[in-house]
Amino acid sequence: MSANGAVWGRVRSRLRAFPERLAACGAEAAAYGRCVQASTAPGGRLNKDLCAQEFEALRSCFVAAAKKTLKGGC
Amino acid sequence: MLRPAGLWRLCLRPRTAGVSTENLGRRKVASAVPPRGGTSPRALNIFDRDLKRKQKNWAARQPEPMKFDYLKEEVGSRIADRVYDIARDFPLALDLGCGRGYIAQHLNKETIGKFFQADIAENALKNSLETEIPTVSVLADEEFLPFRENTFDLVVSSLSLHWVNDLPRALEQIHYVLKPDGVFIGAMFGGDTLYELRCSLQLAETEREGGFSPHISPFIAVSDLGHLLGRAGFNTLTVDTDEIQVNYPGMFELMEDLQGMGESNCSWNRRALLHRDTMLAAAAVYREMYGNEDGSVPATYQIYHMIGWKYHESQARPAERGSATVSFGELRQINNLMSRGEKS
Repeated sequence: MSANGAVWGRVRSRLRAFPERLAACGAEAAAYGRCVQASTAPGGRLNKDLCAQEFEALRSCFVAAAKKTLKGGC
Repeated sequence: MLRPAGLWRLCLRPRTAGVSTENLGRRKVASAVPPRGGTSPRALNIFDRDLKRKQKNWAARQPEPMKFDYLKEEVGSRIADRVYDIARDFPLALDLGCGRGYIAQHLNKETIGKFFQADIAENALKNSLETEIPTVSVLADEEFLPFRENTFDLVVSSLSLHWVNDLPRALEQIHYVLKPDGVFIGAMFGGDTLYELRCSLQLAETEREGGFSPHISPFIAVSDLGHLLGRAGFNTLTVDTDEIQVNYPGMFELMEDLQGMGESNCSWNRRALLHRDTMLAAAAVYREMYGNEDGSVPATYQIYHMIGWKYHESQARPAERGSATVSFGELRQINNLMSRGEKS
């Protein structure tokens, strides 16, 4: 960590906003979670990007929530 | 800082690409018998102790350390309960990896005469909690205790041995500094600790990046713990399991609390970067797979409590083979046998 921790502080504050934005995307998160959980059932295999579609939906919702709070906040 | 002059480390190159999935989450104990008085030939160097010291120092310097103390306070009070259960008082005691002194605050002057608090992080020792027992703070590593043989009546250790590189050696050192008829009471995180977090991160990282690296440090299995205590020379072992489940609003809060406790990962084979996408995916998986109805997510902390005694002639020993005077078949007449025994 640098002397005044400026970069670390900035990154941390961004990270601290994650739970709020994730809460705004409950449905997409649940869909992604269900997709991953389904692959853990016997006979399922978890490969890379198996649930890419659901994750893209989650990510775009997350980014939209971020833009909204940014506009409203500062 | 106390460092013995002959400090050396066996630096094995940490296995990187070839880590098998069965070994993750379970700590395999070296099965070779160690030579007397030295580290075992395959002594592992899993954790970066320097980094752990920095992390603990950072955590102890947080503006509100009480916010993250709940787990250590709880386990500290359980260990103090076990100390009270032993009908003895201990003139000289040692707390290994004491942190801010979570055990000392629950004990009183009559039970413990003088308490040595040992930890690797000086900030934790400086901000120690109040206690009525006279204490001496020592900056010491759990694996390199700067004490003579047969010094302490009691050694306690609460939730710090899971960051020790050479656990067999640490237990042998504890046995060494104990007086005969001294007792060691310890608590360590066990195999199932934080399994929800570990699984969520593994699944999310596999799905997002095609592979995964360990983010949770390996924990000991209960059978290994019993073997290690026996090998270190302890008698009359007691190992029991406690499970504490704490509910968090989400995965990010859990990770923040773990960092605030000073329990961040410090393994040599840790990956320096955790992608934001992976974190987001893992939080979603965590909530979906393990979440409670009210939206919170549980985190399991499995604690192994252990009690071991150093040998002394006054301690009860198993009877000699073939010295039985009654057989199990006569168990029905146990009342007669007992009154017979009282009369004679």
